[in-house]
Amino acid sequence: MRKFLAVVKREYLQRVRTKMFIVATILGPLVMSLFGVVPALIFSIEAGAPVRIAVVDQTGKMYTRLYRAILNEIKDDDEGAQTAVDPKALNANSSERLQQAGKQQRENFELEEVALDGRPIDRLRTELSERVRRKDLDGFLILPANLLQDGKAEFFGRNTGDLFTSGRLEDGLTRAVREQRFADAGIKTDVIRELSKPVKLQSYKIGEKGAEQDSGEGFILVFATGFIIYLTILMYGQLVLGAVIEEKETRIAEILFSSVKPFVLMVGKLIGVSLVALTQLAVWGLAFGAFALFGVGVLVSKGLPVHIPHIAPIVFVYFTLFFLLGYFIYATVYALIGSMVTTTQEGGQLAMPIILLLVIGFYLAFPVIQSPDSRFAFWVSMVPFFSPITMLVRIVTQTPPLSQILLSLLIGFGTVLLLTWLAGRIYRVGMLMYGKKASIPEVWRWVRQA
Amino acid sequence: MNYSPTVKLENITKSFGDFIAVSSLTLSVRAGRIYGLLGPNGAGKTTTIRMIVNITAPDSGRIELFGQQITPELQDHIGYLPEERGLYKKMKIGDQLRFFAELKNATGKAVEERIDKWLARLKLTEWKNKKSMELSKGMQQKVQFITAILHEPDLLILDEPFSGLDPVNVELLKDIVLDLKAAGKTIIFSTHQMEIAEKICDDICLINHSLKVLDGSLREIKQSFGRNSVALRIEGSNGILNDPSLVSKIERHSDEIEALLAPGANAQDLLKKLIASGVMVSKFEMIEPSLNDIFIEKVSEAE
Repeated sequence: MRKFLAVVKREYLQRVRTKMFIVATILGPLVMSLFGVVPALIFSIEAGAPVRIAVVDQTGKMYTRLYRAILNEIKDDDEGAQTAVDPKALNANSSERLQQAGKQQRENFELEEVALDGRPIDRLRTELSERVRRKDLDGFLILPANLLQDGKAEFFGRNTGDLFTSGRLEDGLTRAVREQRFADAGIKTDVIRELSKPVKLQSYKIGEKGAEQDSGEGFILVFATGFIIYLTILMYGQLVLGAVIEEKETRIAEILFSSVKPFVLMVGKLIGVSLVALTQLAVWGLAFGAFALFGVGVLVSKGLPVHIPHIAPIVFVYFTLFFLLGYFIYATVYALIGSMVTTTQEGGQLAMPIILLLVIGFYLAFPVIQSPDSRFAFWVSMVPFFSPITMLVRIVTQTPPLSQILLSLLIGFGTVLLLTWLAGRIYRVGMLMYGKKASIPEVWRWVRQA
Repeated sequence: MNYSPTVKLENITKSFGDFIAVSSLTLSVRAGRIYGLLGPNGAGKTTTIRMIVNITAPDSGRIELFGQQITPELQDHIGYLPEERGLYKKMKIGDQLRFFAELKNATGKAVEERIDKWLARLKLTEWKNKKSMELSKGMQQKVQFITAILHEPDLLILDEPFSGLDPVNVELLKDIVLDLKAAGKTIIFSTHQMEIAEKICDDICLINHSLKVLDGSLREIKQSFGRNSVALRIEGSNGILNDPSLVSKIERHSDEIEALLAPGANAQDLLKKLIASGVMVSKFEMIEPSLNDIFIEKVSEAE
């Protein structure tokens, strides 16, 4: 027992003390939160001066409408005038956030009407192009006389890759032209506004506590959970593979086996690394909790649209259980592979099918999210190599009956026991076989011999 | 005085598939002696050792350590320096030593003191907090040697401990091995380098192609192989050497003569007669066969 603890302790301390671990632990949540927050932050940056656009209005009547449409005085809905600090924005999912950010950008426009004054359009175009080149102007818009019929306009600009600008112009033009057409048809503006009110779809999640508002973070949460468990299993499985190969490659195994039983060593290693993983997950969990409790408030008060979905505490328990399940299934197989091969490269090749299995498990999460209650979802959440991801996804989307969760865990941990037994037998022999990669029949002989 | 052997193998056989690594091997290692397990590469030395340290089990036969059937617990009383050996690349030397001692159930302040003592003796003190990847191969080998003796085992098994070391470090380790023997430890020393074995072993066992060729005390083995020759350097008439009742054959080398004594003749008588005849004797030495000669003779005999 003391030897077992010595192995566990070494695995744990050696890994937790590395710079890699500390960096990954600190950067992990940072990177994840960056994925959530940075896009919103970036889009809200008003880079540089307003975009200056000249408009040549050959229709003679569109400029005012266009001006108002582009500067948000014409609105399709009630939200147009809101700023990002609006409390409603706190519920925004990412696509809404993008819109919010875009709106701020739109307000940063400067429009200027350039009259033809009898000049031919070609000459005016040359003049305006010259101004664009001189950077007096960022671009110009030519509205042909038959704009209302053809619905075509031309934009010339220095930076046509700026999709926000061209998108905004197109959007504004569309609305301005539409209103003009309606007006020409004799329909009043307030009637138009009333008639073109968009439909807003609000999603609600039916959970244990009844209907709760859900603006898309449900999916993000499920996806994030599946992704984190997939990534950590993969990461720590690889770590076990590397650790086993190191002991074989450097021939430490021989000294170790003269002091401690191979099985004890293998299990000690698996458990030691699992504790490293749990430490990392705990740090992340605490960071997430602290962020949810304090960070969100701060960001919201600064006007950043951040919302943390509600997560039931039991989900954390399930996450830990299924993480451990997945870890022990894959890490045991990795240990088995590590003892069969002679180099890290060989180990990588032999581990490919295993990684593939894990990837399949990850992709299975998508159909499961769509219909978590289906027969398909049930079966894939019972298969041990998939259940750590698929069952967890089911729990987060639509918690299945406890009996199913327990059954899945039971099958899973039964598999772990079986795999540990198998790996133990292969490990014992494989670790002392130097020189060449073991063949499958050879490995099978190791398993059978007492 | 305890006469029971420290290690006793009875009729040990071990095979891997069709390959027989060790065949009906019987040997016993006496307490407090240095026992040389000798043989060419692939003779079965490492397999034999692995069975003694309980890494693998024999297919048949019985192994006793310290007078009892081997158990995993007995592993703690063995120090093993394998031929194929390594250290954790990224672990500090001090931590590694502590870890390996812990695996032998040796912990606490005593171990800390011993770590410092041995590092000092092997001139590695300043490397204690360095990772092993920063050490030269020779230094790593000395660290591995310390891992084998740190828990003060009663039985020390060294598989090619000196290979790859420079002469200064070979001397350093050899002195430690002899000190350990003086302290009453039993040492099994496996090598194919006969010159070193000849210098430090009390008893030897020669293995070739999985079979024991020869075993016993080095002294007795050498005597039994004595070819009864004398190396001579003399000035003056060498007529005495032509006496067939004393010398049956002479071989002249560059500056000395090798004389094979006649059956029943005695080296003492030869020396007396040489001196009596007025010859100046500057060298007179009984020639012993080297272990290497014995080894080659025995191995070629078997083939």
